[in-house]
Amino acid sequence: MFGTFLKALLIILYATFVGFMFMGIIRKVTARIHRRIGPPIYQPIIDTIKFLSKKENITHGIIYDFGIIFALGATILALMFIPLGSISIMRAYGDLILITFLLEIPMLGIMFAAMSSGNPYAGIGAQRALLTLLAIQVPLGFAIVALAEFYGTFSTYEIVMAQQTSGWSIFHLPLLLAAIAYDIVLQAMFGKEPFDIMIAPGEISLGPMVEFGGKHMGILQIQHAMGLFAETLFFSNIFLGGAVITTFSSPILNTLATLAVLLVKQLAVLLIAIFVSTIFPRFTIDQAAKFYWKWPTIIAALGAILASL
Amino acid sequence: MNELLLIVFSPLIAGFLAWLLRVKGVKEAVGIIGSLIPLILLIKAYPSLSQNNLTFTLNVAGFEVGFMLSRLSWVFSMIAAVVGFTAILGMASTAKDSYEWLFALMSLTGVLGVFTANDLITFFVFWEVMTFASFMMVFKFNRGASLKYFVLSIIGAYAMLVAIGIIYAKTGSITFADISTAFSKDAMSKMLGGSGIFTKTETMLIYGLFLLAFGVKAGMFPLHVWAPDAYSETNQSYTAMFSGVLSKAGVYGFILLYVLMYGKLIVEFGHFRSAPAFGYIIAFLGGLTIIVGGILAALQEDIRKLFAYSSISQIGYILVGIGVGTALSIEAAIYHAISHALFKGLFFLIVATIIYRTGKTEFKDFGGLAEKMPFTFAMAFIAILSLAGIPPLVGFASKWLIFEAVIHENLPILGGMVFFGSAIGFVYLIRFTYAVWFGQRPSDIENTKDAPLPLAIAMGILGTLNVIFGVAPGLVAQELNKLFGQQIIGGNIWELDLGFGRYNGLLLTIWMTIGLLIAAIVYFLGASVRKVPVTDTYQSGNPVTMEYNLTIRRNFFLPLKEAMAFWLRISFDKLYHDIWKSMEDFAETARNYIYNGNVQAYAWYLAIILIILAAMGV
Repeated sequence: MFGTFLKALLIILYATFVGFMFMGIIRKVTARIHRRIGPPIYQPIIDTIKFLSKKENITHGIIYDFGIIFALGATILALMFIPLGSISIMRAYGDLILITFLLEIPMLGIMFAAMSSGNPYAGIGAQRALLTLLAIQVPLGFAIVALAEFYGTFSTYEIVMAQQTSGWSIFHLPLLLAAIAYDIVLQAMFGKEPFDIMIAPGEISLGPMVEFGGKHMGILQIQHAMGLFAETLFFSNIFLGGAVITTFSSPILNTLATLAVLLVKQLAVLLIAIFVSTIFPRFTIDQAAKFYWKWPTIIAALGAILASL
Repeated sequence: MNELLLIVFSPLIAGFLAWLLRVKGVKEAVGIIGSLIPLILLIKAYPSLSQNNLTFTLNVAGFEVGFMLSRLSWVFSMIAAVVGFTAILGMASTAKDSYEWLFALMSLTGVLGVFTANDLITFFVFWEVMTFASFMMVFKFNRGASLKYFVLSIIGAYAMLVAIGIIYAKTGSITFADISTAFSKDAMSKMLGGSGIFTKTETMLIYGLFLLAFGVKAGMFPLHVWAPDAYSETNQSYTAMFSGVLSKAGVYGFILLYVLMYGKLIVEFGHFRSAPAFGYIIAFLGGLTIIVGGILAALQEDIRKLFAYSSISQIGYILVGIGVGTALSIEAAIYHAISHALFKGLFFLIVATIIYRTGKTEFKDFGGLAEKMPFTFAMAFIAILSLAGIPPLVGFASKWLIFEAVIHENLPILGGMVFFGSAIGFVYLIRFTYAVWFGQRPSDIENTKDAPLPLAIAMGILGTLNVIFGVAPGLVAQELNKLFGQQIIGGNIWELDLGFGRYNGLLLTIWMTIGLLIAAIVYFLGASVRKVPVTDTYQSGNPVTMEYNLTIRRNFFLPLKEAMAFWLRISFDKLYHDIWKSMEDFAETARNYIYNGNVQAYAWYLAIILIILAAMGV
């Protein structure tokens, strides 16, 4: 019992740390693409510490506070279900549908908090976030359907294990199509250009985030870090074969190697997202909806139909 | 006296008493007791279900009116009794006169009769009682909406009557057991190459007629047009039952279709991939229902209309589950029927409370009510999480089952449709949340009070059930397994185990609590917070006062409307309206030409008939 909690705590700390590093990498790589030096890679951690140590915080009511806590709590919950190599708390219950839903819940918390502030920018941001969610759900759904039909199981861990023997998912044509669609969806899930419509800095003053400051913003930073980690991890698990390393005799070495392999895969997913985001300008919300309902949906639906044959 | 008879008729008797007494306080008490009796008796009847089914036959006017309480009808009757009881409790606050008590309770009798019917005549009679009573409830509020509902329902009901007539003419029996045997025998002989008693055309006709009949009641696309008007233009406490229970009569009808003629329909229609073809039609229409209902819900400007369309959308899930036609998917559909009744009943009670307290229905008049009605908001929070499919609540468990059941059968298009449905559910609920509960409060609802006691109790019951069944999803699943007499959904009361997917409500709740605790620790480690008013906000650096409208209350999803502009032009509502209009015109034309007031014309009619008779050689 105590061991499980310790393991959970370690996973949370690891996810937070790596997530912050990812955020740093995003800033660093973006800077290098623009021929700037950019901030040091640990910059997001410093930012978050600063946010959390503000002397005064404001609130607009109980939901404003609870929404933030709910968002972080739900992200932690999602993390517990995604298999992190062989170390995972509840990998037996790591169901594809469940994780897909769990990755969306934090958005609900953020929006509850944002909307309860009564700010019109938060309102418009929530509207854009919801329409983005609606737009990505179609290709996302087909991608998940393709996976479940190809492997005949909904368990993420079993899908990882199946890939150990039959090769990565993206080497099978139906799942390659699903992976392409999912990767386009990831761009919106990360909140990166061209689909960062919900936050839209410069256009609607950060949208839902506009009213947050101090510790609320700090918690959202932590949530964002964990979210980045969870989303890249889920993608690596279902499409890039995850990682189950058993070459070493020592279990600790095996675990470290697993984490390292996973980290490389997660970074690969992240870097694609960064490269895309730095060279594409933002879509408007109706363009985004029409885009997601056209190409990614066609690709993913084709994948799903091929997988079901 | 037989318990079954008491279960079915006690609401009706109570309704009549309430109508006769008309004394404030007494009629409410009588009505509530009348709706409580079926609930208590159903719970008491539960242990005896395992031995044999409760039956009762009544001889009325030469017909044998048969009732039977099987496991399936017990499950559906329980939905009716629980949600019916809470709706009646809510009506104690919102009903204006004894007229509403009579018809609300009468429709509860109708729906209980439909669920416990043992033959087609009983089924039809109570179907009509239910339709009539609900029509009368709507009629009092809005004539146009009620007539639209009534005409469509009557078309459905008489389609069913025709189907019953064909079945009776061919088999000579009306009891479910006999008909079921006749159809399976027929299917057998057809498979062996013989000619059955029903031809292929007749089977298709019966199927089509039943599809029409049950589709209208369930609100299946494209027969859903009555629902938004009828659900919104009535007492909203009653709508908790109208949408929560009466729409389930259509769902029950579809299940009955499986019970009666499954084998025959399979033989005649064959399979589409792994689903039976006749079921795939239902499932595909269900999928369209999800999408159409969801998108229209997002674009509504009226709180009641939003939930009416949302109701349609959720029924779509149930139809998808039923249509796919495996034991698992039907169990999932019944599970979703239960959870839909629970959360949608709760939603309409919330709407009833809001309208009762503020007297307004449109989004443009609301805002910031969460602070004034904390209990109602807490209940709305549960209902929102449940409908949107957020894990520790019952809405997730049932949706999850439908997802897994559909996708496991290798039906990718239906899978995509249900995924879209889950997102659109999220979308319209946030619209409701934003416009009603959060933001700036208009000054005319400044003095709103929280829910009255009866409504609060009713909401409390449904809210608690939403949480309990969500944390322990196995409670319902184990019960549904008994319907099929085998373990289809494995696991214990906390866990659902399908073999290819597992979901554990308790474990999830525990870890969610831990996650929230960790988040709360981080939160409380920071400095203390200072409460600021809603006008102390960022408005591009400008000062704002209460005169500014800061909350977006109109046309919240304008980009969605624009993106879907082409599809929104196609309206079935308009189509039916035009058909109805041309029928009225035709009637007018016929009246003018045939009854033209010219005596010679009438003489000519006589002459023509005489010529026809002569030609026939009479």
